[in-house]
Amino acid sequence: MVTLLRIAWRNLWRGWRRSAVVLSALAIGLAACLVLVGWSHGWIRQMVESAVSTRLALLAVHARGYQANPDVERTLRDGGRALADAIERFPGAAASPRALGDGLAQSARQSARVVLVGVVPEREARVSIVARSFIAGGFPEATPIGVGRSVPGVVVGEALAQSLKVRLGDKLVLHAPGETGLGAFRISGVFRSGSIGFDKSTVFLRLEDAQRLLDVGDGVHEVAIALADPRALAALTAFARAELPRVNPDEALEVLTWKEREPRLAAMLGLMADTAWIAYATMFAGMAFGIANALLMSVYERIREFGVLRSLGLPAARLVWLVLIESLLLTFGGALLGVGLGATLVWVLEHTGIELGSLSTGLSQLGIGTTIYPHLDPGDFVSPLGLAFATALAAAIWPAWKAARLRPAEAVRHV
Amino acid sequence: MADIVLEARRVTKIYRAGEIETLALSEVDLSIERGEFSALSGPSGSGKTTLLNLLGTLDRPTSGHIFVSGEDTTEMREAQRAHLRLRKLGFVFQAYNLVPVLSALENVEFVLLLQGAASAERQRRALACLADLGLAELAEKRPNEMSGGQQQRVAVARAIASEPEIVLADEPTANLDSKTAEDLLDLMQRLNRERNVTFLFSTHDPRVMARARREIRLVDGRIASDQRRPG
Repeated sequence: MVTLLRIAWRNLWRGWRRSAVVLSALAIGLAACLVLVGWSHGWIRQMVESAVSTRLALLAVHARGYQANPDVERTLRDGGRALADAIERFPGAAASPRALGDGLAQSARQSARVVLVGVVPEREARVSIVARSFIAGGFPEATPIGVGRSVPGVVVGEALAQSLKVRLGDKLVLHAPGETGLGAFRISGVFRSGSIGFDKSTVFLRLEDAQRLLDVGDGVHEVAIALADPRALAALTAFARAELPRVNPDEALEVLTWKEREPRLAAMLGLMADTAWIAYATMFAGMAFGIANALLMSVYERIREFGVLRSLGLPAARLVWLVLIESLLLTFGGALLGVGLGATLVWVLEHTGIELGSLSTGLSQLGIGTTIYPHLDPGDFVSPLGLAFATALAAAIWPAWKAARLRPAEAVRHV
Repeated sequence: MADIVLEARRVTKIYRAGEIETLALSEVDLSIERGEFSALSGPSGSGKTTLLNLLGTLDRPTSGHIFVSGEDTTEMREAQRAHLRLRKLGFVFQAYNLVPVLSALENVEFVLLLQGAASAERQRRALACLADLGLAELAEKRPNEMSGGQQQRVAVARAIASEPEIVLADEPTANLDSKTAEDLLDLMQRLNRERNVTFLFSTHDPRVMARARREIRLVDGRIASDQRRPG
């Protein structure tokens, strides 16, 4: 086998121009694929991060049935505090109770439909992106007890502020369904999350103000949960489903991951991941023809040589091995070069980011930032190398078969 | 009883190309004994190379039988024939036909490697063989660094390194100038005399025929004459 390897290696160098062309094509193609996959991962990661760090949350706890029918009266007891405390026993987990409801925001000149989100700012800051996205002001302070006509604060997205033509410090009237659903607020903060849809429709206020406006007493609608390491989501979900029912045994709950809450988004992201496979498969299928062509040419050029080897007693099976080894060397050489090149490119782009320029507004509507940071996981290198192996085998079949079928008497006289 | 190394019994070979059939050999009977230095001669198209290929199990007869050291090769599978060639036959081709990416030493070693000889043993025997043929200084050279004569001498070294029953040489001097051809023939004759290596040539080179102790002349696929000369 060592001698076959030596012959195969030297044969590749004998036709070094042809080998270099195949090797380069493979390397460039594979590097392009890796950049595409990295881009796709960066895009997916950004969409997921954007979704789970704004409205969705990685994991959410509701009163059972709330996801299907988000009725304002379907609340969790006790401001969700006991549930939030229980979930935070999981390493790296942070929980934020939220009171949620549809409402209307009205400025002196405009009005808009909004989603009212009542939060405890200190807890929300550990769960959502909003606390890190302020372009002016911040979460409202608690209204001092005993201050008669003090106006509570609210936080709005930049897009909503533009739409309502308001600025930091301006007044805003919020309406919510119900008898107590009206209140005047002052804008204490303006944020820009990168998702225009979210920024245009969300108003944050203090939990107690939202509870009063929505008339839900001490109730909340959701406990939103974030994780320091999102890869532990499955374990967190299992933990939550096992532990939370023990907190209030008579309270029916639902514990839902972001994928369960937004199956269409999850399906779309799955489709994007599949696209990477299609790109790989297409690239390698094309390369298989290129390599097979190069090998076939090399077999035809060496018919007499193969005839001599067969005459000397080299079994046909070992001749097949020789062609196969050449294919493997060529393919793996190209694959390693491509992986090196692709990984380097993605590493650079992961640090510099790819600015999307004119597409940024459209992407913001989808909840994606204007700069994509490509990213590759170690597992992303496994599939191209596996495919390279399969390609090497597929590409070598025909040339190896041709070589094995040569009749020694004719082959040694081939010109 | 004579020690027969190769034998053809009523061997016929017909080549078919579409509808056209060409009779290359017809009912040939031939025995080659150990230690012979024989030549198959005859005009072009007389069947010399065809017979040599059949005797070397590189091709199959249309009818008849080929025996190598008493073993009938006719019904053998291709893998068995390859194994037989590896163990019992050595080849020298007209166009040198060394493996271009291997050095002289590696070319000679190659057959020993296929035979399963250990690395150290292989190298020792291959080097000894090259040295015996006066080719030690070429050991590390690749074919493209050698002259035609040198390549053909290395090819002879490769053919005898595995100590085969017989060396089959197809027009070995055809591509060589007179001096180089004479040197090559001297070498093969010496191996025949000193080491009792059996040689069978196909040739129409008068120099080879003059040196052969037996000349089997083929005409139109049949043996026209079979003459032995005293050694």
